[in-house]
Amino acid sequence: MLLKTDIVLAIVGLALAFGSRPAAIAQDNRAKTLETGVFHGKVHQTSGRATIYQEADGKLVLRLTNFKTSNGPDVHVILIAAKDADDDANFLKSNTKRVELGKLKGNEGDQNYEVPANTDLNKFQTVSIYCERFNANFGAAPLEKF
Amino acid sequence: MSSLIYWLRRKKWILAGIGAPALVAAWWAFRPEKLWVNVKVNEPAPFDSSAAPLYTGLLIGKAHPTSGRASIYQAPDGKRELRLTDFITSNGPDVHVLLAQGDDENLRQEFVKGELKGLELGLLRANQGDQNYDLPDSADLSRYDAVVIYCERFHAVFGVAKLDKF
Repeated sequence: MLLKTDIVLAIVGLALAFGSRPAAIAQDNRAKTLETGVFHGKVHQTSGRATIYQEADGKLVLRLTNFKTSNGPDVHVILIAAKDADDDANFLKSNTKRVELGKLKGNEGDQNYEVPANTDLNKFQTVSIYCERFNANFGAAPLEKF
Repeated sequence: MSSLIYWLRRKKWILAGIGAPALVAAWWAFRPEKLWVNVKVNEPAPFDSSAAPLYTGLLIGKAHPTSGRASIYQAPDGKRELRLTDFITSNGPDVHVLLAQGDDENLRQEFVKGELKGLELGLLRANQGDQNYDLPDSADLSRYDAVVIYCERFHAVFGVAKLDKF
């Protein structure tokens, strides 16, 4: 009986010791700036900055700042496996590999997008604001090491 | 053909039956109202971004191969400084770091005719490595929006970085 309570206490103790650890790390709120670049796009007037951060827990976040583009139907934020992209480029036609980050939250203003954990940033070097309906690149930001 | 038009004219509801869905489909595809409707967001950074620079840009080599990043940071007390990172240029005599106007024609060339108009930040400390330079309090970064690595002796533009808001 005594042994049983000891084991339970030991498990609870271990759980407290290790369980509280990730919380402590999460509180350290600093993020590393990995890459940054500015948007260009004349046809659909896209401007602003795209920056990829690595949070303390390793998660990658894309943040758009001073951002502005034209509104449109079914516009997404994607990463493409290219050094840069032309205005109105069609990535379906050019068979450019992409990583979907989500639907564009707003055509103006600061916004954050989670980048999938296994994304190879050496390969996916450009952020594109991409209209899926017409397969047209509204604007692109080639990323450079910060 | 004319009988078909005549028939269609009599049965206008067929035209409406074809036209209405076509209009709806066109609206759905192009969403023309979005030309006037803006969606504004203002998400905060999901982390402490107080250490972010005000401006940043990449150095591009002119008269000599130059590369790296130039960023302008502001300390909590308001003091601003230029920081060069991953910096590399060629060594030379009397090489200075300047702030200049990005649209200055002189910066498009490798050598400046006459004097380069700019704000002196100091003698280049090293031709390789991370380094910081204090900015004068009066420096107007909306006017002086380029960092220049400049050899005063030969009026040679080693490299230029156009600064953009971070």
